[in-house]
Amino acid sequence: MSEASIPNLALTVGPQEDRHRSSKRLGFMLLLPIIIAAMELIVSLIEPRVLSGHNLVNVLVQSSYLLLFASAQMIVILTGGFDLSLGMAVSVNSVAIALVTTALAATGVSPWLLVVVGIVACIVVGLLVGTFNGFFVSRLGINPFIVTLGSLNICYGLATTISGGRPVFNVPDVISLVFYDGTIIPGVPTPVILAVVVAVLLYLLLDWTVFGRALYLIGGNPRAANLAGIPGKRYLFLAYITCSLLAAFGSLMLTARTGSGEPNLGGGLMLESIAAAVIGGVSLQGGIGGIIPVIFGSVFVTALSNAMDLLEVGGYVQQILLGCVIIAAIFLDRVRATRS
Amino acid sequence: MSDDLTGDDVVPMGTTVAGRFVRSYNAVGFLPILLTGLVVVLAIFLPHFLAVQNMLNVLRSSSYLVIIAVGQMLVLIVGGFDLSQGAVVALTSVSAALVMAGLKGTLDPSVVILIGVLVGLGCGAVVGLVNGLCVAFLKISPFMVTLGTLSIATGFALLLTSGIPIYGMPTQFVDGFGRGLWFSLPSVFYLAGGIVAVIWVVQNHTPMGRYILAIGGNMQAALVSGVPVKTYLILSYVICSVLASVSGLALTAQLGSGQAVINAALTLESIAAGVIAGVSIKGGVGRVEMVALGAILLLTLTDAMDLLKIDPRIQAIFIGFIVVLAVALDELSQRRAARV
Repeated sequence: MSEASIPNLALTVGPQEDRHRSSKRLGFMLLLPIIIAAMELIVSLIEPRVLSGHNLVNVLVQSSYLLLFASAQMIVILTGGFDLSLGMAVSVNSVAIALVTTALAATGVSPWLLVVVGIVACIVVGLLVGTFNGFFVSRLGINPFIVTLGSLNICYGLATTISGGRPVFNVPDVISLVFYDGTIIPGVPTPVILAVVVAVLLYLLLDWTVFGRALYLIGGNPRAANLAGIPGKRYLFLAYITCSLLAAFGSLMLTARTGSGEPNLGGGLMLESIAAAVIGGVSLQGGIGGIIPVIFGSVFVTALSNAMDLLEVGGYVQQILLGCVIIAAIFLDRVRATRS
Repeated sequence: MSDDLTGDDVVPMGTTVAGRFVRSYNAVGFLPILLTGLVVVLAIFLPHFLAVQNMLNVLRSSSYLVIIAVGQMLVLIVGGFDLSQGAVVALTSVSAALVMAGLKGTLDPSVVILIGVLVGLGCGAVVGLVNGLCVAFLKISPFMVTLGTLSIATGFALLLTSGIPIYGMPTQFVDGFGRGLWFSLPSVFYLAGGIVAVIWVVQNHTPMGRYILAIGGNMQAALVSGVPVKTYLILSYVICSVLASVSGLALTAQLGSGQAVINAALTLESIAAGVIAGVSIKGGVGRVEMVALGAILLLTLTDAMDLLKIDPRIQAIFIGFIVVLAVALDELSQRRAARV
């Protein structure tokens, strides 16, 4: 990678400058909510439906899913890595969960056992993908891009093979009831509640545990991490497993929503999850990020595509725009890095 | 990585001769032996493998890949990456077909073909220029840039066609070039051979060959030594995309239609061919004749799997594994070399 040859600015930053930089980051962080609000207001002049209560709830639900995938991506981006296999891992998960639960439902077991089995299936597949990625990245020191490009293909092959390339229908209703349309708190959609719970847990993990703090150091200054006695390889391994488990849980939520296991479920998710994380302000150089930027990034990407949908912008044009937005966001990231 | 080195692995000085032998053997390469062995085994066990039609198929399909993989190699050598190749193939296919079908009948067929080919190559040049400029001047990670342009180029290709194949190209282009046999070999074979020869000369007998190796090996050192780093970075990306366009034109001619979903696996296969051939993903290492052999090996394997009636989806899993394992082996052998 040319990454190595471009001087890594994060390496030279001391604690003082770091604090200075994080206050600058805060400025950027406030920028995004303002942009989102401005975008919604401008679009509402052309299309008033954007600001209807129904649509806003819709955006919130949609961004709950993206939040899970983007925060999964953020965990590995923090370490200076990447997960290209995320979208296809979501597909494999969805198909696996659907196959296992439908097969078991046919034998007439108790619905709660189905929920447990669904969760176990998603944990198992998540662990498998995470272990594959984590092993090659942390133990053999292979470029994460290549590893996850390989596992992307493997996951794609698996998802289409075990499903025969067709959706797996008749996922038991109880899965949808628990993870999508049931009522936990009246008036609040279940996906939003689940996303909030995950966000709080991630905040605690990243800010209040040794593992979480170590992730920042591994990405920002690997040598310092090494000297500080942090078991870098083990934590890197764990980071990829955490990423895959989060993606797997998101996949369970999406499967509950569609009511079927979809081999094409994750097609666009890889790009969207990266976009949401980077736009939020997670630095691709590693070591900078957090759950709050990811929340704003996810809402921004969802709100943008929702606005374009309502303005009847075609899917192909949206794809072009998403590509442009990503490049712009990364360019901004470079500018931020060189300024500070 | 270095902490893997333990005292008992240190090899006495005398064996460096053996080490040198291994390295010179590595220089000749394991690949030709592997390929020959594979062909012999396949010829014995698969009766249809040596059939003329099958050999022509392997030759034709590997020629498309050779052209693309050589481009990918140039970018890998400078320490970069090009994920947008598959999208460039699609965009080239669509725009060349649209222009040729649109102009058909108004001008002399050879002029129509010339314009179509130039438009196709132009698409590649533009995408390559965008990639190169972003990498060289904005210093954005090549992975992210080409991920962005991948999305943009695919979006444009789909937008131009609405996903429907475009027919109506001049017959001279389709039957004369695309499906034509020159001296009883597929036309694209000569094209691939010519490109490999040209790049071989460039690599071995021009300053550019040495410059790009220097850039990939150590960009700072190259810069200090007065290598025009930015120019050659951009040039590599442009050549890479233009070669993807060449392959796209040949594929379009063979299919007889312009398609936006032409062959999504090409990008991964081109990277696979490169890493099998020992091109380092860290940059600075790569030889064009090996890459050509790598591409042929990959397509021979694919052909064998086709003859064995293995599902193409399972083949995707297989290629994913090959990519990761090839890089893992490369990494391990480098570590061993570092110990000697």
